[in-house]
Amino acid sequence: MFALNFLLRRIVQGIVIIGLVTLLIFTLLRVVPGDPVRIMLGPMVAPSVMEQVATELGLRDPIPVQFGRYMLQVMKGDLGHSFIRNAQGGSTGGSRGGETFDLQNRAKVSELIANTIPYSILLAALAILFTVLISFPLGFVAGVYSGKWPDRLSLYVSSVLVSLPNVWLGIVLILLLSAWGGILPAIGYNGPSYAILPALVLAIELAPVMIRSIAVSVANSLQENYVSVGEVRGIKRRRMITHHVLRNASIPLLNLFGIQVIGMLLGSLFVVEYIFNYPGVGLLMINAVFQRDFPIIQAIAMLSSAVLVCVNILVDLAATNIDRRLQY
Amino acid sequence: MQTNRSVLNVSQLSVDIEGRERRRILNEISFTLEADTVLGIIGQSGSGKTVLSRALVNWLRPPLRISGGSILFKGVDLATVNETAMQQLRGREIAYIGSDPANALDPTLPIGRQIAEKLMSVENDLARDAADRRVLQMLDAVRIPSSRQRFHEFPFQFSGGMMQRVMIVDALITNPAFLVADNITQPLDVTIAAQILRLLKELQRDFRTSTVFVSSALGVVAEIADRVIVLAHGEVVEQQGMHGLLDRPTHEYTRRLISEMPKIWGEEPLPTAVETPASETVLSVRDVSKTYSERDRNRFFVWNHIQAVRGVSFDVFRGENLGIIGESGCGKSTLSRLLGRVEAPDTGQIEFLGKDIAHMGRRQLLGLRKKFQLLLQDPFNAIPPHLTIGRTIAEPLYIQGGTSSVEVEKRVRATMIEVGLQEDLYDLLPVGLSAGQRQRVNIARAMVLDPELLILDETLSALDQVEQAKLIELFGDIQKRRGITYIYISHDLSLVRRVCNRIAVMYLGRVVELASNTDIFFNPQHPYTRALLSAVPAIEERRYLPETYLMEGEPPSPINIPAGCSFRSRCPLPIEICASVDPKLSATPSDGYAACHLITPIAQSTINS
Ligand code: SF4
Repeated sequence: MFALNFLLRRIVQGIVIIGLVTLLIFTLLRVVPGDPVRIMLGPMVAPSVMEQVATELGLRDPIPVQFGRYMLQVMKGDLGHSFIRNAQGGSTGGSRGGETFDLQNRAKVSELIANTIPYSILLAALAILFTVLISFPLGFVAGVYSGKWPDRLSLYVSSVLVSLPNVWLGIVLILLLSAWGGILPAIGYNGPSYAILPALVLAIELAPVMIRSIAVSVANSLQENYVSVGEVRGIKRRRMITHHVLRNASIPLLNLFGIQVIGMLLGSLFVVEYIFNYPGVGLLMINAVFQRDFPIIQAIAMLSSAVLVCVNILVDLAATNIDRRLQY
Repeated sequence: MQTNRSVLNVSQLSVDIEGRERRRILNEISFTLEADTVLGIIGQSGSGKTVLSRALVNWLRPPLRISGGSILFKGVDLATVNETAMQQLRGREIAYIGSDPANALDPTLPIGRQIAEKLMSVENDLARDAADRRVLQMLDAVRIPSSRQRFHEFPFQFSGGMMQRVMIVDALITNPAFLVADNITQPLDVTIAAQILRLLKELQRDFRTSTVFVSSALGVVAEIADRVIVLAHGEVVEQQGMHGLLDRPTHEYTRRLISEMPKIWGEEPLPTAVETPASETVLSVRDVSKTYSERDRNRFFVWNHIQAVRGVSFDVFRGENLGIIGESGCGKSTLSRLLGRVEAPDTGQIEFLGKDIAHMGRRQLLGLRKKFQLLLQDPFNAIPPHLTIGRTIAEPLYIQGGTSSVEVEKRVRATMIEVGLQEDLYDLLPVGLSAGQRQRVNIARAMVLDPELLILDETLSALDQVEQAKLIELFGDIQKRRGITYIYISHDLSLVRRVCNRIAVMYLGRVVELASNTDIFFNPQHPYTRALLSAVPAIEERRYLPETYLMEGEPPSPINIPAGCSFRSRCPLPIEICASVDPKLSATPSDGYAACHLITPIAQSTINS
């Protein structure tokens, strides 16, 4: 009963949030300079033709009208068509004349996303796996020996990692492991091994946050009264840590994971995919931004906020299951 | 009753605190715990009793360290034994219960699971269902109602008293040879504490557990211990049988301890207030109620209604001291917020000097407010740290306005002298003030407006006996000089016994009895008042025995108050009508008021309802 009530409330909240984010992006896109029609049709086209195409696309209607139309469309399950890309997958651009631009043969946004998303999921999953592999042991040891040398070591490691900018790190890793070392492939995609390097870059960016938070939550949990009482009750410290401290420490961690880590991951995914020319949603997004391809930008923004909302709901549901006090 | 077998032999035990300089906390403590007896250790805060009880189970953490002596248990010296061997003993042979049951278990797991976990980790070859069975048996033995269901509940779902029972189960389930109970009743309400004490006594008898019972309350120790050790400043000052200690204390410190024990039925106290029977009514409270609403997170669109105060009525007369007593959750703190008009009641009137302040607007209230003041318990958070003491006391005058700053300073200084604060504190910041001084600053801040009614909500609870006595005297002096009226809201029976003319007893949001001081203590009418009196830890002979009046059980939740009398679940003498008809507060033969069918003719209360 609690779970149902909780889910219902959170889903409604989530939908509102996604709607607001979409509205914000939608408005911003239309307010900031840069006319998509100019990029669609190229510089050589007469203003009258431009106006005609823009009107046809509905871009000259008031923003609320455009937004309403867009949302209706979305609710029917239609994310619209790209402004720039045609259905064959290639990107058209300003070099082509207005005559060859085919309003009817533009790529469906949903298909574009569906084609790229598996790559992004692979990359994100791998990144999370690496992050956990790096940060869990370091953070755990630092938390258990809080204030002693493992704690300090993990602090140094995470301070170094946090100061590496991902663009720079990406380039260095490409040079070291790919160009010179020849161990891992780097650019583009031609099999799952292409995801390893970008995932590593993402993991190195996420790890410091995780290491510190794991260390802090484990250390805090160890301070709880019940841990020392456990010793006098006859429960061994080792068991206390594996069965109780970790369980309690996971609650703040889940929250952090849901909000900060996933948020960071989404943000960095775009950049890293671009650096590695990795054909995921992020690359699609960055190109769409350069090309003022409104429908794609809107859809991906909506998708990102939906992911964030969903992960948060799941994380909170998990947390309330671990600690029942959160249900009251 | 006593055998010559000793379970624990402590000799010359010393504990130091190690830091930049060593300091001795316990000095050469020696005693013997005989098998199947209870050894009481009594000491005030700072005497080292908690350190001692932890040292006995070798549970000291740096910077505390055992620096000498031995603790012999079954041929093993616990003071020097290594950690692994100690781990074998703890939980199995040696058990410990502390004063903070709420934080003693993992908050995220059911209590039954955790006790079974402990049982299985000290008895390695025990199967899980066998462990569960034993836990259930023990939960029944400590009389936790519906144990089967509660096995699966989480620590936060237990009240303090129930959680302490859980910890008793946890400690005794392995049938240890000796148990250290460190101040286990300290955080509990009197009736609940008395229940726990009674339970521990029974279990100790059944399980023959040799027990070290540590407490700061002589009355509590007297209830359970066979022998007693008096601890002061880290040393044993006296050691003898319980009765001998009370009758013939040998050490000066013990004598003082006994003489400071507040007496309830002993000498007739002199209420500080001048007796002016039923003169002018200062405050008239009529049928006041307050309900808080809180969302029920397990159901859709459902709000829980917490009935904190349910139809309270009483009058307060000029120059008297009215006491309002009750245990936690009885609604007395909500009532004090209503009387001080920090909050408005949902229904009812509060007439102060003939004006209804219950629903008065902010502006109108401001003018009246200087005539009635609310003083809270916490002397620490109420004083802004960045203002001088003089400025803090002057604050209410500035809020009221209309006083020149020369006049303000004059009045502040005069008030400071009146409440016993040195005048040279006027320009100082409040850092470094003692608890008593801080409370005096609070009192001065209330007094500077020259109020006619002062509501004291647990104002004296945080202070020690000596400081408390001084402030009581101060309140008395001010009363004589200014003819002020006091309402003392407190859980402390001996305090209201000492100062109040009339006393109202609250239970579950209601006044269940209201009578003169003497009648409340010598001729109480309501069964709850008697239960309360039977539970007070005292070293005097009790007028009301817990065997007769103190039932098991805890107050029902204020969310779902059952029909009929709300005290029925714990009442020793309920009659049929109690299940259906809620008794109203009505006059008793002895000039007081009580809400109980045994006292008021049934016909009358039916008419009233
Ligand atoms: S009304 Fe009945 S149940 Fe309530 S206190 Fe009186 S006798 Fe007990």
